[in-house]
Amino acid sequence: MTETMKEFDRKDFRTDKYVKELVQECVGGSELQQRKSKIHSYYDQTSSALKKHVYANYMQFIETAKEISHLESEMYQLSHILMEQRNLLGKLRDGTGDSKKDLGSDETAEEDADDTQSLVAIKTVKEMVPGFTGSLENKTFLNEGALIELDANDYRPIQRVFFYLFNDILIVCKVKHDKKLEFLTQYDPTKIAVINIKDLDGVRNAINIITPDGSKILQCVTVAAKNEWIEKFEIAFKFNQLNKTKKITASKSKLIERQASSIDTKSITSDALLTPTEETASVSENWAPEWLATASEEIQALIAQRHFEDALSLIQKSEEFLEKDSTFWNSAEIAGKIKNLKTELSNVLIHELSIYQNRNLQATLRSTRRPLKLLGEMGKARQACATFLKVCTSGIRSAQREARRNNLEVSELFFCDLAEVATEFMRAFKSQAACVSCLVVWCNTELRYFASQLVKHYLTKGSQLEAVAKCVEGVRAPCAKLNEIGLDLSYHMEGLLRGTLEQIIEESRVRMLETVGRTEDAWQPYNLQTKSNLKSLLRDMEILGLDMSSQVTGDTWINLTQSTVNFCRHFLSVTESCAYLAKIETLKLNSEILLKDIFLAQHAIKPNPGITVDLNFVSRNKSYLVEELLPVAVKKFEKLSGRKNEVLSDVHLQLRGPPKPKPRSVYQTDVL
Amino acid sequence: MSKKPTTGPALHKVIMVGSGGVGKSALTLQFMYDEFVEDYEPTKADSYRKKVVLDGEEVQIDILDTAGQEDYAAIRDNYFRSGEGFLCVFSITDDESFQATQEFREQILRVKNDESIPFLLVGNKCDLNDKRKVPLTECQGRAQQWGVPYVETSAKTRENVDKVFFDLMREIRSRKTEDSKSTSGRAKDKCKRRKLKCILI
Ligand SMILES: Nc1nc2c(ncn2[C@@H]2O[C@H](COP(=O)(O)OP(=O)(O)OP(=O)(O)O)[C@@H](O)[C@H]2O)c(=O)[nH]1
Ligand SMILES: [Mg+2]
Repeated sequence: MTETMKEFDRKDFRTDKYVKELVQECVGGSELQQRKSKIHSYYDQTSSALKKHVYANYMQFIETAKEISHLESEMYQLSHILMEQRNLLGKLRDGTGDSKKDLGSDETAEEDADDTQSLVAIKTVKEMVPGFTGSLENKTFLNEGALIELDANDYRPIQRVFFYLFNDILIVCKVKHDKKLEFLTQYDPTKIAVINIKDLDGVRNAINIITPDGSKILQCVTVAAKNEWIEKFEIAFKFNQLNKTKKITASKSKLIERQASSIDTKSITSDALLTPTEETASVSENWAPEWLATASEEIQALIAQRHFEDALSLIQKSEEFLEKDSTFWNSAEIAGKIKNLKTELSNVLIHELSIYQNRNLQATLRSTRRPLKLLGEMGKARQACATFLKVCTSGIRSAQREARRNNLEVSELFFCDLAEVATEFMRAFKSQAACVSCLVVWCNTELRYFASQLVKHYLTKGSQLEAVAKCVEGVRAPCAKLNEIGLDLSYHMEGLLRGTLEQIIEESRVRMLETVGRTEDAWQPYNLQTKSNLKSLLRDMEILGLDMSSQVTGDTWINLTQSTVNFCRHFLSVTESCAYLAKIETLKLNSEILLKDIFLAQHAIKPNPGITVDLNFVSRNKSYLVEELLPVAVKKFEKLSGRKNEVLSDVHLQLRGPPKPKPRSVYQTDVL
Repeated sequence: MSKKPTTGPALHKVIMVGSGGVGKSALTLQFMYDEFVEDYEPTKADSYRKKVVLDGEEVQIDILDTAGQEDYAAIRDNYFRSGEGFLCVFSITDDESFQATQEFREQILRVKNDESIPFLLVGNKCDLNDKRKVPLTECQGRAQQWGVPYVETSAKTRENVDKVFFDLMREIRSRKTEDSKSTSGRAKDKCKRRKLKCILI
């Protein structure tokens, strides 16, 4: 077939020509018909292939987008870590700057780096922003970037702006259509208040800055950019209060150092390096080997530079050495130092773990691997796993909150997250029995919390049974999936929801009983008015599992009352919900009783004595309920729940039993 | 692009103030999303907006949740300026937070320069009544002295959460109608009142 269809792909393909040839080629109508159907099936194939392609591409696109957003949040974390590191180094420098002159050169280098960055920024402002005439001498550059200004009333974009933020000035430019910048205004950052807009009719990544001339809503490109602006504005605000004094002293000392010749600095540095070597050389073997004597400083440096693995291996090497030989005279001092450093390292690592709080869970799991592994090696698995689980708790819960606010599927998300945490946990701690039991306890706690949230937000009083069944069913599948990784939580989960579900079933039962037979029935056949109405009714019933075609009379009539027909529909859909709920063993009886009660209530409806009715027609309706509806409902229930419905089966037996004339006559003949 | 003046629902701007950890964010989140957040994550400045029905009229509430922590004290002035009403929160389990309300009150009056700015004193965490450190009479006394209502809330049990936000919005609304009646006289009025007070002191 493909052979003939190749023609379609040819560039010079022309429909009229093709059809002409076809007509000439084919003999008789039937062959033409055949060709036509072939072409048609080719068309179907092509279109379904096209759909598949589009779908595959779409899925790939979604995957990629997800990955990008993960990467983005990881980048954000990295930049955060770098910032922290920088602050840490800054603190260290402040602390040691006075006592250790040899570090001075480092300091100068870093300050210089800062300065160069600022210089570069100042230069760009001068070049890019022609309208700006102020002086930027001696200012520290903090951040720059494009933002979109939104209308405060309807949040529509007004204009694109570009901000340059220095320690004591914010330069606001407009981005013109030719991408060039035009100076608009400038503010003193201490007169500005920045607000993180958490919820504003779905406007994303926006901040609000309150300036002396009113407040402005600004939208950033990404979350990361938004957080960076918030942070930088805060730095700018605090800059003048905190840094004024520090800056002056720092620049003074820098000046002095610069005046001293570079040779001087070098000789100081090399002196400092040489001293310990000479000392070790001059004394006998009773001293620690050189590498051990300097190990503590080395380890400290490694920790500060975040070379945790190296730090740990040096600690271990030192410990091993000390264990073998601790006869040299300062061994106790060194051992003490090493021990302290070990504690310090484990504290730093625990801190590393805990800073991931409130971040994206996937990114958290990925970035905690390294500290977890190291802590495991250091014998700190217990502490590590406690911190890790705490971080995961907050990750899972904030993801849940987010999902709930955006009306997304929470159950699947929860169990997927739980599974991911468990997998990651086992990867790190599977050899530690005590930790594994922590995981089990943790899972139970999270499960309990999740269940309480479900009850609070989705299983509230007065919920529709259908929605409730859907929700419970939605929990079941992903929960069962966890069995694959050896976590059996289904039973526990059901236990947590049982009480609430029992209440809801009981409440629904009472509510439904109230509505049965509420509308006065005239006991007349049901006229659907048009054929298509009838057809669609039959189709609806068929979907629910009930074939009503045998009840059709005439063109548009059903030989049952409207109330019976409506009840059939209602009853089958309630059966479906009940069957889902009855998958939980302990709820089976409750759901069966609900079904039984509403069925009996409908069955017991009697015609109003004030009107004349055809009694045959009344009993026709009743027997339809018993003979047709009930068996279908029982079967449906058993198929969906996988359990026998004894209660309804009993009802069936009872109701059809004695009053049936036919079986009795058979029985009588038997006796005779 | 011509800007058309959108006359949407009225917007009432509420600011949450009070020491760190007293439950400002918890109250806000309970009001916004009906949920209690157990974890404590210090706030910098977050804003929320929501449509609500106030006495049968649809209005918007804008909540600015500010930082209680001391190191943000200097920035507060800038935020307070934009507020039309204030919920001044403390925790009934923490006397220090109660004492701090005095300072917040003074700062707000200084910034807004208006003695009768809509303002509620809110004693939060009333579900922890067994750990109460601030006697009820003392709270009521302070509120009376300031001439403002006093309400106890719990962000955990949701007790009075809606009440404080709605009561404050009502005050803001009546202030606005009052203002629009005497548009020009108001500004002078405010100063006068303020001055009188100063002289009295
Ligand atoms: N029991 C109880 N705990 C509460 C209540 N309100 C808040 N908390 C808890 O108190 C802690 C601090 O609450 P937050 O709302 O974050 O405090 P905050 O006032 O916003 O603090 P800052 O943002 O630092 O100013 C959290 O752990 C809350 O769970 C309450 O009504 N009852
Ligand atoms: Mg807060």
